[in-house]
Amino acid sequence: MANDKLQKKKLYALSSENRQFSFNLPLKHSIKIGKREYDVKLKADEKLGTYILWKNRKYPVEIVKSRQNKYEILFNDISYTFTVETPFSLQRMKVLTAGKGKATTEYVKAPMPGKIIDILVREGSTVQRGEAVVILEAMKMQNEILSPVNGTIVKISARPGTNVMKDDLLVEIKP
Amino acid sequence: MKIKRILIANRGEIAIRIMKTARLMKIETVAVKTAAEPNAMYLSYADFIFDNTEDNSEVPVFLDIEKLIAIALQMEANAVHPGYGFLAENAYFAQKCIDNKIIFIGPSPDAIYKMGNKTIARNLALKNKIPMAMGSQGNIANEEEAVKMAEKIGYPVIIKAASGGGGRGMRIVRKQDEMEKMFSIASKEAEKSFNDPSVFIEKYIENPKHIEFQILGDTKGNVIHLGERECSIQRKHQKLLEEAPSSALDDKLRKKMGSMAIQIAKAVNYYSAGTVEFLLDSEKNFYFMEMNTRIQVEHPVTEEITGIDLIEQQIRIANGEALKFRQEDIKLTGWAIECRINAEDVQAGFAPDPGKIESLSMPTDACVRVDTGVQRGSSIVPSYDSMIAKLIVKGKDRKDALKNTKMALDKVWIKGTKTTLPFFRMLVRHPKFQNGNFTTAFIEKDLEKFYYNSEYEEMLAAWLAIKLFVEENLSDDSISVDYKNGKELNPWLLNKRISQF
Repeated sequence: MANDKLQKKKLYALSSENRQFSFNLPLKHSIKIGKREYDVKLKADEKLGTYILWKNRKYPVEIVKSRQNKYEILFNDISYTFTVETPFSLQRMKVLTAGKGKATTEYVKAPMPGKIIDILVREGSTVQRGEAVVILEAMKMQNEILSPVNGTIVKISARPGTNVMKDDLLVEIKP
Repeated sequence: MKIKRILIANRGEIAIRIMKTARLMKIETVAVKTAAEPNAMYLSYADFIFDNTEDNSEVPVFLDIEKLIAIALQMEANAVHPGYGFLAENAYFAQKCIDNKIIFIGPSPDAIYKMGNKTIARNLALKNKIPMAMGSQGNIANEEEAVKMAEKIGYPVIIKAASGGGGRGMRIVRKQDEMEKMFSIASKEAEKSFNDPSVFIEKYIENPKHIEFQILGDTKGNVIHLGERECSIQRKHQKLLEEAPSSALDDKLRKKMGSMAIQIAKAVNYYSAGTVEFLLDSEKNFYFMEMNTRIQVEHPVTEEITGIDLIEQQIRIANGEALKFRQEDIKLTGWAIECRINAEDVQAGFAPDPGKIESLSMPTDACVRVDTGVQRGSSIVPSYDSMIAKLIVKGKDRKDALKNTKMALDKVWIKGTKTTLPFFRMLVRHPKFQNGNFTTAFIEKDLEKFYYNSEYEEMLAAWLAIKLFVEENLSDDSISVDYKNGKELNPWLLNKRISQF
């Protein structure tokens, strides 16, 4: 517990599909995309209910479930499930589950099966959280795969033009 | 006008749709209040309400012929509109209305019966030389017989196990020289799987599109068509999106299919609004499937491109009036798309998600029409269908209609249940849908993901999860309040639906 408190300068939201989003504490009401910072506002009014205001657009949000550190959130009609982890609990979890590899490395995986269209980074280059690292074409749509952290690209496993399966490793990033 | 007061033997959006037109025609309406949804929105559109909330019958009132007749008589309604579903295609109900001197707003009981009976309908189509997917009447004994039959119905054909199911024992044969081999494989597989080697042959329709023609006929023998609707976007035979016209038809094919549709309708002396359904294959061959003898859910797309109020026509025809327009008067202008926004969870295989509509806001743009039976506070109840609203969007051509639909979908705001909105947001961005190159197998074959989210949505959801966690666990984190544009709130107070465990 004491350890948790010391380390709670950062929190991670881990999606059910193993995507990881990290946020610094105290939690800012803004998210940095590339070099720009965008406001995030959680609001409610009589007519619309609860919503998030982001880049001048309102998105309906609802909390479907919350249990300990697990949250199911309905965002713009789509449900997402996250577990919130501290750096300590995340590390412990990674040691317990993954075993191999440094706990500090972020593994960016393919969220769905598809074809790698482009790699936007090189080994050794630095990335910002939210920056696109890979373009993956799935369902005939191009999807940007974003870096979950600020860090340095340590390894690129994806190759342009190749097909990947869901959860295939694309890029490793050292925060 | 003979018709003075119409009993609406239906609920939801179609009840409202009918009552809106009745009001324009200065005809009174009666709606039935049920225990399942005593506060339903459609009740507020009626001139009179019959309170049926005390009815303890197992059968829903909208399926109870005797009860509906009694209500019509008691409420002095001299006409009944069945809407769609329920008793809309029940010949006995139509006859019962007539027997009680109540005008049934729909076709004759005879037409309903004949088109509802697959064998009669097929025989009628055969007699009228309407193209149909043919099949062998019984089992096929050997290869020679198979070749003969396939020649008669035309390749490609499909060999099916007589005792079969689930794809086993099925073989598609495209050319005569494949027949011998395929027949023996199918027969052996059938024997192995079902202990029965007997097989039969049917026409195989490759990657078909679902194309249906809107028909209008009067009691004087005039029948016209109002063009087609394309309803290929369907899942397990449930239509999700319909459009009119179809990108697969040109004027020549439209004329050909339209005249076939009229012909089959005339074969049963059809009057009122009806729909003739066809399958259209990639070679533009079409095959009669069935005729629906009612107003359809997707009728608005036809109304939007023809400017004709189909409910008004149904009422006028039932009133004994002749059609005011001929085939050559019908002009198809622009393009219309209908999205069926249902209370369904697309992430859980379109499972129904009934619940209370906590907030609802629909686009008000000129190109958008919304047909709905719910408002804020309404409930989508498990006893009826999951429809929340039909979003009907118009454009000057298909591209324009698609653009407008994309815009409109982003303006729809529904809270309280999950909806099919994310599915449509994905669909309008899909190249295959955009170029019109899709078939009834589209959802099954071409989609890997059933919903669309823009690139930052998951990150924002993650931010909210973190915020919730912070509020609960690290209470010293301060909350800023923005009073200007709606209050910024403590997320722990925001949701009443947090589960109890």
